[in-house]
Amino acid sequence: MAREKIYLEEVFPSPFMQLWGIFRKTPVAMVGFTSFIFLILLAIFAPLIAPYSPVDGNLDMILLPPAWHPDGDVSYLLGTDDLGRDMLSRLMYGTSLTFGLSFIVVIFSLVIGVIIGSLSALTKGVKSSFLNHFLDVILSIPSLLLAIIIVAILGPGISNTVWAIAIVFIPQFIHITRYAVKEEFRKDYVLASRLDGASNFRILYYSVFPNIVERLMSQATLAQSAAILDIATLGFLGLGAQIPLPEWGAILANGLERFYIAPWTVYLPGLAILFAVVATNLVGEGIRHALKLRKEN
Amino acid sequence: MAVLTMKFNCLLSLALVSIVSSLVGCSENESLSLSERSIIYCSEGSPETFNPQLSTSGTTSDATSRLLYNNLITYKEDNTLGPAIAKSWHVTRDGKKITFYLRNDIPFHQTSYFTPTRNLNADDVLFSFNRILDKTHEYHDVSGGSYPFFQSVKFPELVERVEKINDYTVRFVLKRNNSSFLANLATDYAIILSKEYAEQLIPTNSHHEIDILPVGTGPFLLKDYRVGSLIRFYRHDSYWQEKAKIEQLVYDISPSKTTRLTKLLAKECDVSSYPIAHAKIAERNDLQLESVTSLNVGYFGFNTKKPPFDNKLVRQAVSLAINKQAIIDTVYRSQAARAKSILPETSWAYDKNTPEDIYDPIRAKSLLEIAGYAQGFDMDIWAMPVQRAYNPNAVTMAKLIQADLKKIGVKVKIVSYEWSTFLRRLSLGEHQSFLLGWSADHPDPDNFFTPMLSCSQSKTVNNRTFWCNKEYDQLLQDALETTSMKKRKQYYAKAMAIIDEEVPLLPIAHSKRFQARDTNVQGKILANFGGISFHHVSKVPLSATNESESNDASVQEVEQ
Amino acid sequence: MLTFTLRRLTLFIFTMLVLTLLSFSLSFLFPGDTVINHSGQINATASELQLLNDAYQMDENIFSQYKAYLSHVLSGDFGQSMASQSPINHELKALLPATMELSLVALLIAMLTGIPLGFIAAIKHNKTSDNAILSLAMLGYSIPVFWLGLLAILLFSITLGWLPSAGQISLLFEIEFVTGIQFIDILLSDSPYKWQAFSNASAHIILPACVIALAPATIFIRLSRAAMIEVLAASYIRAARAKGLSFNQIIFRHAIRNALIKIIRHVGLQFANLVTIAMVTEVIFSWPGIGRWLIESIYQRDYTAIQSGLLVLSCFIFIVHILTDFIYAALNPLARGNKYGS
Repeated sequence: MAREKIYLEEVFPSPFMQLWGIFRKTPVAMVGFTSFIFLILLAIFAPLIAPYSPVDGNLDMILLPPAWHPDGDVSYLLGTDDLGRDMLSRLMYGTSLTFGLSFIVVIFSLVIGVIIGSLSALTKGVKSSFLNHFLDVILSIPSLLLAIIIVAILGPGISNTVWAIAIVFIPQFIHITRYAVKEEFRKDYVLASRLDGASNFRILYYSVFPNIVERLMSQATLAQSAAILDIATLGFLGLGAQIPLPEWGAILANGLERFYIAPWTVYLPGLAILFAVVATNLVGEGIRHALKLRKEN
Repeated sequence: MAVLTMKFNCLLSLALVSIVSSLVGCSENESLSLSERSIIYCSEGSPETFNPQLSTSGTTSDATSRLLYNNLITYKEDNTLGPAIAKSWHVTRDGKKITFYLRNDIPFHQTSYFTPTRNLNADDVLFSFNRILDKTHEYHDVSGGSYPFFQSVKFPELVERVEKINDYTVRFVLKRNNSSFLANLATDYAIILSKEYAEQLIPTNSHHEIDILPVGTGPFLLKDYRVGSLIRFYRHDSYWQEKAKIEQLVYDISPSKTTRLTKLLAKECDVSSYPIAHAKIAERNDLQLESVTSLNVGYFGFNTKKPPFDNKLVRQAVSLAINKQAIIDTVYRSQAARAKSILPETSWAYDKNTPEDIYDPIRAKSLLEIAGYAQGFDMDIWAMPVQRAYNPNAVTMAKLIQADLKKIGVKVKIVSYEWSTFLRRLSLGEHQSFLLGWSADHPDPDNFFTPMLSCSQSKTVNNRTFWCNKEYDQLLQDALETTSMKKRKQYYAKAMAIIDEEVPLLPIAHSKRFQARDTNVQGKILANFGGISFHHVSKVPLSATNESESNDASVQEVEQ
Repeated sequence: MLTFTLRRLTLFIFTMLVLTLLSFSLSFLFPGDTVINHSGQINATASELQLLNDAYQMDENIFSQYKAYLSHVLSGDFGQSMASQSPINHELKALLPATMELSLVALLIAMLTGIPLGFIAAIKHNKTSDNAILSLAMLGYSIPVFWLGLLAILLFSITLGWLPSAGQISLLFEIEFVTGIQFIDILLSDSPYKWQAFSNASAHIILPACVIALAPATIFIRLSRAAMIEVLAASYIRAARAKGLSFNQIIFRHAIRNALIKIIRHVGLQFANLVTIAMVTEVIFSWPGIGRWLIESIYQRDYTAIQSGLLVLSCFIFIVHILTDFIYAALNPLARGNKYGS
């Protein structure tokens, strides 16, 4: 349907752009967003910018405190661990493991969840009701507990952890997509396109998805903050990333032994996890806040 | 400060408790007296059994031997043999007949499950040793029928028979002279059980209880055991020697090193085994770090029955590529001596001419090329999951070795299991190489050579390199049969040379055993060889400590 | 109420069946022989293995196998632990009460701090204190619980020396095992140090319970804030205000009661979350509970223990869930007729 621009039209920003407009004006959300982007960049470029290897240590520089400490060394900004490995480099590489993997996991389960969720939204009857009840049961189990069960079956290791967490998050996305799609389908604009003769998939793709994408994003941030905590917790318990991987939770567990003589090996990875989770949550809060304001306008 | 803290603690908990009940009183005095009369020891693991005859694990003998039992003879302070249950003994000139004269005033424990009617006599001694020696003995096969220490010193082959001369006289008849026989009887494993108790168990067919609910003659008796959690001992009030000074001894089983340190720092335990963070303990005035130079060796062993380590050249190459000094600085925090052979330099049999060990990755690489592994290979290292004096952190050690071997093109995967699984799988030979160690039971050098590397051991328990060398075994045999120290030393020097050439294992370090305690706990705990004892330990009231102790000397060395 | 009870009862039985089916199928999913995974007898001889095969009807079809498994579980036989070779039901009997004790105390703390804070935030909606409480809540559920536990030990046990760092009670006290719930056992015991033991046990539970409570408390803050805001906007509150009731009267007589009912619905779901956090916390505070035991079983690949531990833990969570449902229904007659879940 090509349309000539005859009249000077008032351009309405798309719902997504409206949301961004509101989001941008919330300073706290923008701080979170900037940190989030920073973490993504760090996760991708860690191998290029990290000053040292995360695995090989310098045995002359064992348990060096961070640079601001009187005994610190500027070339090891955040100090070293018990094998003389640079904490800064380990934390940088850890970003791609803890944060990067959780990001990938969430995207993966989002895609799978959205596909299954929208397909199931289009079905009715027994199949649908069974799915509904099944999802209710799965969703009432905490993600960490479910991940622990799956790791128990698959055996410890970072790849099994990632699979476990991916499996845990898919039902969440199925649930929210299903709910949102069903809600949208009841609306008048969908009826309008249906009267135009559009197929269900066309409606889904062109009409429904643009309208539910923010809600999915908000759910994705919730899932990601949980995923970071789950990966780190499993790493800490020794069920996730194995030695010598610089996963944040595993670094913390590794530093535990020297908690009282080299506390930075425990403080720093903990702070890194906290920072990543807070950044993700701020983005999520920002999106939810903006959604609410947009609705009110 | 400590008193103040306790008061606060009391107030704080009072605040919470008062919600539930207003009856609560916080009687400081009683609490003090209870904790004054008791000691909490943070131990590193659960004992496998309460009968040390059945195990060579240090954790087991720490929790049993010197607490629950006594030996016929024992090591005195000056490391010579002295009397215990046997008030004296006599050895014939050919060394084949040893007669022990027993004391008649030694009562057994009275517990909820056993009440003794008589004191210890020759029957009990006969029972304890015949259980090990006589394969047809009613109790031989109880709890598995394996007596690893006695098998490792070939005790059953050595002893012809044990005779009862009268109620308080026992004679051992040996097949040949053995210079380490008496030393073996003084180890933590050669303890005396109660025959009367064993007989009481027979009618109910509950034989195995003898090793679970122990009855001995030692200074403490078992009150309660919760697997993986605690062992509670009470004082044996009619102990034949001076009674123990404390009334209650609790082993708080805390396998995590950090938890042990935390409990020590938070005053939740009085004594902690194998502490970490020595610097932190040393800087605290209320804590004391002590160590004893123990006869042990931490080593890196190769499975000589599995490629690529069935090739001598590969073993030599790998051992050349390992930077021992770095391991000692990192893993042992420089609190250990670098090992040149399996025998520590403090042993009398140590050969001064033992060659220096070399770190030479370049030669290692060329040896690998000769062996046909120019491209390197993949291997696994099994790192023991628990810490021992001889290896305080096997996983870190494995990581260092991993980095060293990477330089000669060998890729290492680190494997670790829970302790009992680890040992079981190791004995099945699933490993390629492993990090383990050996702690001597007594100062006789044979206790290093035979258990660690002899052929018989490769079939049973201790020798997980599965290395078996006839010439080496013959040298050990010859050394045992001679009484001349000089000759023995020569034989052992030759044996060491064979190990050096064949490298079934690479000795890494001889370490000290560390222990930390609160300064108000007094008395010797660490014994010179192996085990620990709480017989002479007492606790000073909190208020008295500050005056009596000079707090500067917080690191105290107990050299043997 | 009767139909409601019947409905819950069927749901209960149905869920139990699903849970046992799940734990039954775990034996097939775990590596190794199924019957050994069921029974945990790793050292069984050939003849013993044959007996076990008969006991679990392994030669029959899958339904009889499940039936046999179910009858074993219902008679309290969970097999024996592969690692320690002792019967699992004995171990569970000692461990589960400790976890119950800890998680219930933590739940209490979470509710007692979270709900009032949420109400305050709602009443001061969009003011500084609201924002402060919300920011704190966000920080609270962003902190990794194991890190928080370590910091708490460092501060309160080591630096300040106020509270003990590990275990349920000082090992000096000998408390006879009756129920496994420490406080009850202490009250039942005839130890001369009864009240000291009681205060000692109280001091031991404070730190882990508070660490566990933090994250659920922040959820309760958000839940109660949302509930209160909703209630305050309701027409009956406006009517009350129009009648001239004072602000305090409105809040304490009407708003809180109605908001609380809304919150209680979520307690069951939050409890599941709380127990998971408790599992990790038990590891850090050496709490002799089922969570620590379960995680250790995973290290040791003790499949029989994992299987039965999960079954018992999920049953416990589910029973608490159902109980809160009952409380909710008792308080809110409207909920009784409704369908389950929404």
